[in-house]
Amino acid sequence: MTTEEREPRATPAGGLFGPRLAATALLVLAAVLIMSAFGIAAGGGYSVIGPATIPLVVAIVLLALAAIFALRTTILPDTDLAASAADEERATHWPTIGLVAITLIGYALALDGFSMGPRVVPGLGYVVATGIFLPLASRILGSGSPIRDVTVGFTIAIVVYIGFTQFLGVRLPAGLLGLLL
Amino acid sequence: MDVLGDLAGGFSTALSLQNLLFAAIGVTLGTLVGVLPGIGPALTVALLLPLTYNFDATGAFIMFAGIYYGGMYGGSTTSILLNTPGESSSVVTTIEGFQMAKRGRGGAALATAAIGSFVAGTISTLAITFLAPVIAGFARSFQPADYVALMIVAFVSITALIGRSLLRGMISLFLGLFIGLIGIDNLTGQPRFTFGLPQLLNGLDVVVVAVGLFAVGEALYVASRLRHDKEEIVPVQGSLLMNRDEFKRSWKPWLRGTAIGFPIGALPAGGAEIPTFLSYGLEKRLNPKAPWGKGAIEGVAGPEAANNAAFSGVLVPLLTLGIPTSATAAILLVAFQIYNLQPGPLLFVNSPELVWALIASLYVGNVMLLVLNLPLIRLWVKILSVPRSLLYAAILVFATLGVYSLANSLVDVLIMYVIGVIGFFMRRYDFPVGPMILGVILGPMLESQFRRALQISQGDLTVFVSRPISAILLLSAIFIVVLPYIPRLFGRGQRLVFGSGSDD
Repeated sequence: MTTEEREPRATPAGGLFGPRLAATALLVLAAVLIMSAFGIAAGGGYSVIGPATIPLVVAIVLLALAAIFALRTTILPDTDLAASAADEERATHWPTIGLVAITLIGYALALDGFSMGPRVVPGLGYVVATGIFLPLASRILGSGSPIRDVTVGFTIAIVVYIGFTQFLGVRLPAGLLGLLL
Repeated sequence: MDVLGDLAGGFSTALSLQNLLFAAIGVTLGTLVGVLPGIGPALTVALLLPLTYNFDATGAFIMFAGIYYGGMYGGSTTSILLNTPGESSSVVTTIEGFQMAKRGRGGAALATAAIGSFVAGTISTLAITFLAPVIAGFARSFQPADYVALMIVAFVSITALIGRSLLRGMISLFLGLFIGLIGIDNLTGQPRFTFGLPQLLNGLDVVVVAVGLFAVGEALYVASRLRHDKEEIVPVQGSLLMNRDEFKRSWKPWLRGTAIGFPIGALPAGGAEIPTFLSYGLEKRLNPKAPWGKGAIEGVAGPEAANNAAFSGVLVPLLTLGIPTSATAAILLVAFQIYNLQPGPLLFVNSPELVWALIASLYVGNVMLLVLNLPLIRLWVKILSVPRSLLYAAILVFATLGVYSLANSLVDVLIMYVIGVIGFFMRRYDFPVGPMILGVILGPMLESQFRRALQISQGDLTVFVSRPISAILLLSAIFIVVLPYIPRLFGRGQRLVFGSGSDD
């Protein structure tokens, strides 16, 4: 059992920018949910509590909590949170996050392709997509051994592909590999 | 002795070659993910869920139980050698364990953790064996109102006791409740919170949410700081055995840790973090002469026994009441539901073979873990030297695989990434993720029991306070909310905090 540690900390003003954005997002979400909850139809049959009641309660409580959180980031600042958020900000390397996110989405799209309106973009298949993604992501995360990463990537991809499709009965997209075989 | 007969039957199932193999795979995987920082048993079971659709239920659960226990054993290795808790319930172990490692007694610290976990696991499994059928029998008289009260206790304890801010815990819980509500209402067939998207009609799969929060959220978080944080691994020096003195100082903390851990885990106010802090505090008070802060073995032995005992304790409300009190237990509940099994008082009546095989496998798993851990510690330590960049890239690959293999759906994968981004920001701004997972899983159960209770009482809300069981449960929920503030009422103390709530 420990009690909260409070160290003397610098002025919190800078640290609350992120939490303020989070508070705004929560307020918007809660407002959208309240509107959405009012739109839930009552549904047939007799019941004491209809399908809309609990969603409405959840949305309203969330709005209240989001409002309190917004207060804690503005006029009643939570200094502990501000300090820890400022620490986080200093430690964060945003380009890494952005690149990982973009690569990740690219990976998902490359697995089995996707359709954009009438155009269908074919996928690379599980093995190739994974074999490329893993070393790429590892590089973004700071790895300096591309050959090792590519080897690991394709090994994992091939083992998983064979294991899943042959032994577990899970379908994974063959993609380019399907063309070869 | 009815229980012994059932248990013997369970052992005959658990000791079959196939199930022994499942147990071995489970404990190995569990230890592995326990050792690796950032991935825990909750995530592993969530990732494995889609793969086990083809397994028979008993085998799958024996494997899951192995992962569950193995994660606990493995977590201590990371705490002791890396000063980074592998799981949130091994946070306390880092305090003395890392100091022991630095002073060349890392082997002894790992040994006391492993043997302590074995002692605690075995005693607790014995307690489960005899206690669970009794509680299940008692719980058969529970009404919907009592279940509502029970779930409220579970919600309150995981939000109020864990995490640094009650407000942020509540926000996390209500976000989870919202996610749980997405989809078609079971009772009336009305779509709720689907925003006109047909993909949301069936609701969000818990696996999608859990993998997003635990795997992608964690990987993004680590990715953001990877260039900033540096780690120090302390090599295991000297003997892997405890000397006579260390053993003498360890065995009492093991037993006391077990005595603290099991009941707290078994109460629907569980979690494995709280008892580790309590055990650490108790050992510190009882052994004032030990070198606290400089590697006191009591501070490793007690909390490690406590967390294993609590982990076993958590299985009691899960199996007998169907109420999960930790994130990992919540995922296990989902696993039961996938097999069309509803944990709760009737589980012991409807699927006795499975329950008793599962309980028997806990004994087996404990022995396996002891055998696996003590001699192989040097091997596990090697795993710690896997480069972080490669490790987290691989976690992203497996997260995508786990969700993609659910239904071969790109939309599921993208939703999982979005939840991962939410999880990243939650971690960043110190929102605990445990309440969210519990909200997603327990929310729908709470709603249906609540509506049933009111249907029975014809809309009379006093049903929740007029029944003694639910009244007592609700009172204890209020007590739990107030508890952390008690020190503040008596002078200058601050709110008690029982851990970070980041994982289990």
